[in-house]
Parts: sequence; C-alpha cells; structure tokens
Amino acid sequence: MFSLLFILLFVYAAVSKLLDFKTFETQIGQSSLLSGFFDWVPWGVITSEIVAALLLAFTKTRLLGLYLSLTLMLLFTVYITMILYFSADIPCSCGGVLEALGWKGHLIFNGFFIVIALLGILIQRKQEYNFN
Amino acid sequence: MKTKVFKSVMPVFVMLMAVGLAFATERIVVERDAYYNIPGTTNWEHTTVGDECFTGGANACSFLGQQLYAAPDFNSMKLMKP
Repeated sequence: MFSLLFILLFVYAAVSKLLDFKTFETQIGQSSLLSGFFDWVPWGVITSEIVAALLLAFTKTRLLGLYLSLTLMLLFTVYITMILYFSADIPCSCGGVLEALGWKGHLIFNGFFIVIALLGILIQRKQEYNFN
Repeated sequence: MKTKVFKSVMPVFVMLMAVGLAFATERIVVERDAYYNIPGTTNWEHTTVGDECFTGGANACSFLGQQLYAAPDFNSMKLMKP
C-alpha cells in the first residue's frame, strides 16, 4: 500500500515534469543552489523518480525502492529547507498540481511521505524476515 | 493466486492512473519575459513569469526580492498579479 502511494507520486511528478520540461528546466536554472548542476539535475530528478517507481513495482526490489524513495524525499526536503532560507521567491519546480502547494506546504507534504517511507521499510523488512 | 495477480496488477494500474492524472492536470501556461534590476547598478536581468503577472492586481510579482518589470526600465509596467 505504501509503495503504491510512492508509485503514484513519482510517476505523476515525473510525467508532469516531462510534459512541461522547459518550465521545469527554467525553474531549476533559476535556483542559485542548483545552478552549478544545471546540466544534469533536471534529467537526474526525473530518472530517479522513474527508477524508484519501477523498483517499487516489483516485490523483489521493493525494499530497495523504499530506500531510494526515502533518500529522494530527504534530498527534496533538504533542498526545500534551503530554498525557504535563501530564496523563497523561486517557484516550486515540483510538477503538476504539486506546484500549488508552495514551499511550506511542500515541506509538510514531504514530511508525510518520509514517515510513509519509514513505515514501508519497517513493514517490508519484517515481511522479508518472516519469509526467510 | 488472486492476491498474487492483484499484487502484480496494482502497480501497473497505479502507474497508468498517475500518467492519466499528469495529463489531466497539465496546465497551459504562457510564459513571458520579465525584468528585474540588480540593486545598486543599472544592470537588468530577465526571467520568465506566467501570464497572471501581466493582468495587474494588488500583489507585486517579484524575483529574488526584486520587483519585476515588463521591460528593462523603471518607467515600464510594474508587474502585478491579483
């Protein structure tokens, strides 16, 4: 169930970014925090989201997918926190309706998904332990 | 058996639903150029904003804390949104 929520989130976010890639690229370029990595960050984010969704889709790779999801959510949260401190004027490059959340709303949203990832990891590890 | 099929079909179903949602919520935004002055200089930088900044209103459109203008000139239109 937790992994399905992440699949929905990551596939939605990745496809939304791809549909409006130019805007996503521009918004990343406007961020002084990421300007040094402008070449690969937009594609890196989209690829990570798709890889995470694919890993979560298969039972054998689900735990790895949950770890990747947790890592991504933590990275996004660190980025949002830094944006809030340094340059809150930059529009959120989250993709789709998630842009409407704003930075603070997004921070709460990420916190929720970090908890979901941790719970998912605990449950998945328990299931794999019981299976072995 | 039923559970196994359900477990393997659900991720595919959710992926398709996410793709559908992404297309359904795709917004058509007309991006336009906007300009801001670099404080203490006569230099201007440009960025892009959505159409809403050209409709006027009570809220200033700003970037990095600087008011945005329609052209690189303080006499040009101040960009405001509702």
